Amino acid sequence: MATVVSAAAPQQEGEKRQDGEERTSNASRTLRAFRATPFTYATLIVVSAILSMPLVFVVSIALSSDQTVNTNTFTIFPTEFHWENFSRVFGTDLPMGRFVVNSLIISVGSVIGQMVSSGLVGYAFARLRAPGKNALFLVVIATMMIPTQITMIPQFILFKDLGWVNTYLPLIVPNFFSNAFNVFLVRQFVSRLPNQLDEAAMVDGLGFFGIYRRIMLPMLWPVLIAIGIFTLTYNWGDFMGPLIYLNDESKMPLALGVQYITTTGVPGQPPPWNLVMVGSILLTLPMIAVYYLGQRYLYEMDISGGSAGVK
Amino acid sequence: MAMSKLRRREALWFYVFVSPWVIGFLVFLLGPMISSIYLSLTDWDSFTPPKWVGLQNYIKLLTDDPVFWKALGNTFHYAAISVPLGLLVGLWLANLLNKQVRARKVFRTLIYLPTLVPLVAAALVFRVVLAPSGPFNDVLGLVGISGPQWLLDPTWVKYALILLSVWGAGSATVLLLAAMKGIPQELYEAAEVDGAGPVRQFWSITVPHLTPVIFFNLVMGLIAAFQVFSQVYILTPKASQPGTYNASQTMVPFLFDQAFSYYHMGYASAISWLLFAVILVFTLLAFRTTRRWVFYETEVK
Repeated sequence: MATVVSAAAPQQEGEKRQDGEERTSNASRTLRAFRATPFTYATLIVVSAILSMPLVFVVSIALSSDQTVNTNTFTIFPTEFHWENFSRVFGTDLPMGRFVVNSLIISVGSVIGQMVSSGLVGYAFARLRAPGKNALFLVVIATMMIPTQITMIPQFILFKDLGWVNTYLPLIVPNFFSNAFNVFLVRQFVSRLPNQLDEAAMVDGLGFFGIYRRIMLPMLWPVLIAIGIFTLTYNWGDFMGPLIYLNDESKMPLALGVQYITTTGVPGQPPPWNLVMVGSILLTLPMIAVYYLGQRYLYEMDISGGSAGVK
Repeated sequence: MAMSKLRRREALWFYVFVSPWVIGFLVFLLGPMISSIYLSLTDWDSFTPPKWVGLQNYIKLLTDDPVFWKALGNTFHYAAISVPLGLLVGLWLANLLNKQVRARKVFRTLIYLPTLVPLVAAALVFRVVLAPSGPFNDVLGLVGISGPQWLLDPTWVKYALILLSVWGAGSATVLLLAAMKGIPQELYEAAEVDGAGPVRQFWSITVPHLTPVIFFNLVMGLIAAFQVFSQVYILTPKASQPGTYNASQTMVPFLFDQAFSYYHMGYASAISWLLFAVILVFTLLAFRTTRRWVFYETEVK
């Protein structure tokens, strides 16, 4: 699923760990002659302001009254503070609470699926010996090149025949079969772990599954959590998948639901932008939280772009 | 003998462990791929049995479907501007942040924050930001430019999509900034002794060292740009804006429409293979050119 698209983001996340090392090289950097001039600051301030403008505007719209929405008289900075909009979306007006629950079901199910399956598959590719293993791994890598659009239609037909359309299953179940990029990450991670422990466990007669469960799994957490973050981010924000498979408003995740409510209003009247923006904020805040909480796991893992594929 | 028994057990466990991927590969990838090749050679509405038409879908797409060519052209237009522009802006901002800037973390956070906003939320926000009397045109008005109707004017709607993509230049900024930190300081010190100014140092030291990262982002960015969907679907809803619909039409929304609005499953499958071909050609072209401009330190050492 989404091999190409989702592969890009994790790669970039991984690269950021080098950023965490900047503190250590501070001493040497003071030698640098490039001082920031007033012009540098002016440019940075203007650029930051322009880039932040849409975010400020979202907050301003979210706090607007219905009157402001209907007359389309928004201001960049908030001038009115209708905090009740944040509770209104959970009231009878809109099924926003339902959207959030649906998003959680789909995202958490997908995260569990990827963590369980990618760990097993990646470990096997890194440690176990078997005829045909290298050829199979080449196939894994090759699948990263296939765009999802190729398989989209037959997959839709498959899930339709299974009677899974308008359920969460088409969005969750494929994640239990791992994906090439995550398998690659786990394999790289495991190959860098010392193998004395699993060899000792082998001598002690622990089976292969026992080794995985008792020895490997406890060491795999950093990479599994990183995979969890990528999977969560992708599925929380995924729009096309739910758009294809879910028709009932009551089953839609937030990413689809919040768009859906812009299309269902009274013809000729603007969508309820204030409530839509509250929904957009609800969609965005968890991603910011996940990024800041998860950052250290992404840093901890040595999957910097340099080793994972830039070259 | 005991060894080979252990080896066989190990191989058996290997295949047990990788079975989730193998099953997934067969059921969700290889099977659908074969089926997609077949479907692309048929006329099928997904309700009645498929009708074999041979290469007719491909011929019609390439010779007799102006919307396909429009979508392809728009996709190129979008990719050719948004990807290099995003990288250039990223390079520019990373270079600014790489100086001795106070409150660098604050600037970096503000520049990176937009990339954490899910695409759907970002697209919805931009629908309002780029409205005729929206804040973007207000800001343009401050400097004396009267902004166009971004989302309604066929000539400007593509640039609305490009603006949205450049809003996310923070991810390239952070990546390039991280790569800049990795450049050995001795090089700059040596250059300074030799009398090279900041500009010369930027082009002769910084940029060559960043080419692997730039290349990686260029390829990934192009692949993603060819598959642009949600932004187009959300920024230019066709029901309300029929005029701009084809002006902003790109490959994946076109495919999506053919498949799920008109149930032209065979035709849509053919589009997906042409899209794959386009992505493949551009990826290979990018790799072909690497020798000429991508600099790997390991090659020197």
